[in-house]
Amino acid sequence: MVFKVDFIPHDNKTISDMLDVIGLKSIEDLFQDIPNDLILKTLNLPSGLSESDLLNELKKLSKKNKIYISSFLGAGCYYHYIPSIVDFIISRSEFYTSYTPYQAEASQGFLQAIYEYQSIITRLTAMDVANASMYDGSTALAEAALMATIITRKNKILLVEGIHPEYIEVVKTYCWGQEIEYKLIPLSLLEKELNEEYAAVLIQSPNFFGEIENVEDIVKTVKNTFPKCLIVHVMTDPTCLGILRSPGEQSIDIFVAEGQSFGISPSFGGPGLGIFATKKEFLRKIPGRLVGKTREINGEREGFILTLQAREQHIRREKASSNICTNQALCSLAALIYLLCMGKNGLKELAVQNIQKTNYAKEKLSKIPGYKILNTKPTYNEFLLECPNIDLFIKNCDELDLLPPLRLSKYYNHMKNIVLVCITEMNSRTSIDKFIQAAKSASKISMEVK
Amino acid sequence: MNYKFPEDVKYTKTHEWVLLKEDVAIVGITDYAQHQLGDIVYIELPDVGMAFERESNAGEIESVKAVGEIIMPISGEIIEINTKIAENPELVNSSPFGEGWLMKIKISHKNEINNLISTEEYIKLVESEEA
Repeated sequence: MVFKVDFIPHDNKTISDMLDVIGLKSIEDLFQDIPNDLILKTLNLPSGLSESDLLNELKKLSKKNKIYISSFLGAGCYYHYIPSIVDFIISRSEFYTSYTPYQAEASQGFLQAIYEYQSIITRLTAMDVANASMYDGSTALAEAALMATIITRKNKILLVEGIHPEYIEVVKTYCWGQEIEYKLIPLSLLEKELNEEYAAVLIQSPNFFGEIENVEDIVKTVKNTFPKCLIVHVMTDPTCLGILRSPGEQSIDIFVAEGQSFGISPSFGGPGLGIFATKKEFLRKIPGRLVGKTREINGEREGFILTLQAREQHIRREKASSNICTNQALCSLAALIYLLCMGKNGLKELAVQNIQKTNYAKEKLSKIPGYKILNTKPTYNEFLLECPNIDLFIKNCDELDLLPPLRLSKYYNHMKNIVLVCITEMNSRTSIDKFIQAAKSASKISMEVK
Repeated sequence: MNYKFPEDVKYTKTHEWVLLKEDVAIVGITDYAQHQLGDIVYIELPDVGMAFERESNAGEIESVKAVGEIIMPISGEIIEINTKIAENPELVNSSPFGEGWLMKIKISHKNEINNLISTEEYIKLVESEEA
């Protein structure tokens, strides 16, 4: 294999000198750990194009995209209205970077934005402290599990069914690396399964199936018997905080959420925003960055700083509670602008619309012969729908340019005829009625077949 | 080198001091250790009732520039912690051998006392680290 070195600022002499030092013969020797069949042998790329040809090529490609007029897909990634000011502000060159600034204190503006983000998250959740954000909801949940094991010095965690299946996978991966034991149980077995060996109980509400759990009761049940066991509450669409009781009011120990709903486009499933908040007593164990406000030694001016950094991996190495040393700066800024723009009343109005539109759809769908709403608890903007002819229903949606709901069989093999429907403020009455029409016509045909 | 090295206590190579009183050991960090850490801002001590093996990590001392671990000089159960230093961690800087003591341990293996080092040996250790 010949490596082209056109873009690498080393000449052949430098390269062979360096190889001599480490005792290797060729650059390929550096990659000997990679199995041979995984190494790319040839890269079949067409020759270069001029700018105008390239644009034409890309336009042609973009025609292949199917544009839906309305979406009924949620399951962790949500279509909500994004006010124009969000993209306008985050696109400003002063802000347009995805990372925590290096030489952080030289970027007072960005630090202030992060500080304001932390503050707004604590206001929204009624938790004491929030960090500068993390990659997404799933890693925030896994970090919360790790943090709980460090606080309690116990290495077992209990996951309650209803957590997003992909989040569970991420938590499992973290557990594997840290030798933490986990167990996944239905909520009904919580009291039976819980014992003093557990560091934390992880619960999602509204859960993956759309149901709002009685979190307060669950906290009481756990704390009555095991006061030291921590409760980690996760949610995938925190717009529901516009109407549901906040995690802080429900004595949650660690609250995490996917913040994509706050002004970030669903794109192709990312990027997301990991929201992470906890009680003051756990401040020193919180993963990731924290921005604090301080005052000059000789003066009255206020400034912003990265604080409590001794917790962090770049100082503590293997002793740190987390290896996160950055944050999702641009996305957290989007969330900040979004929440400022919505305000307390706006977010409440939004949440009410989500519930009302969802209830409208649930009621209409439940009246169609063959369809059944499977949820037994109250729901927010998602619910489970059992369909008489799921394939036809999904095909009908597609033909009407409605992004179809999620087939639950993607995650749960046995749930063959069930879809997870998501309805937000973005779904107009007309589009919901079209969706109901798609369901109706999938009901008739299947009955005729029978 | 102007550190204090009291003669009535034993030391560890990890810079803790131990005052032995029958089967109880009072533990703190040395004057040299607090100098190395600088201004101490936070101390995390174990809960009373917890038991640890010798050389295991029982807590943390955080300064403005570093984090140090509190290493158990001897196996045993924590029977008392210095609650004063939670509010005033700077006591460990100003009085490492007095008001800045950390915790009391009920010794479970008396023979482990032999692993502790004398004042003279500890001074030599600090001298070599300084050099």
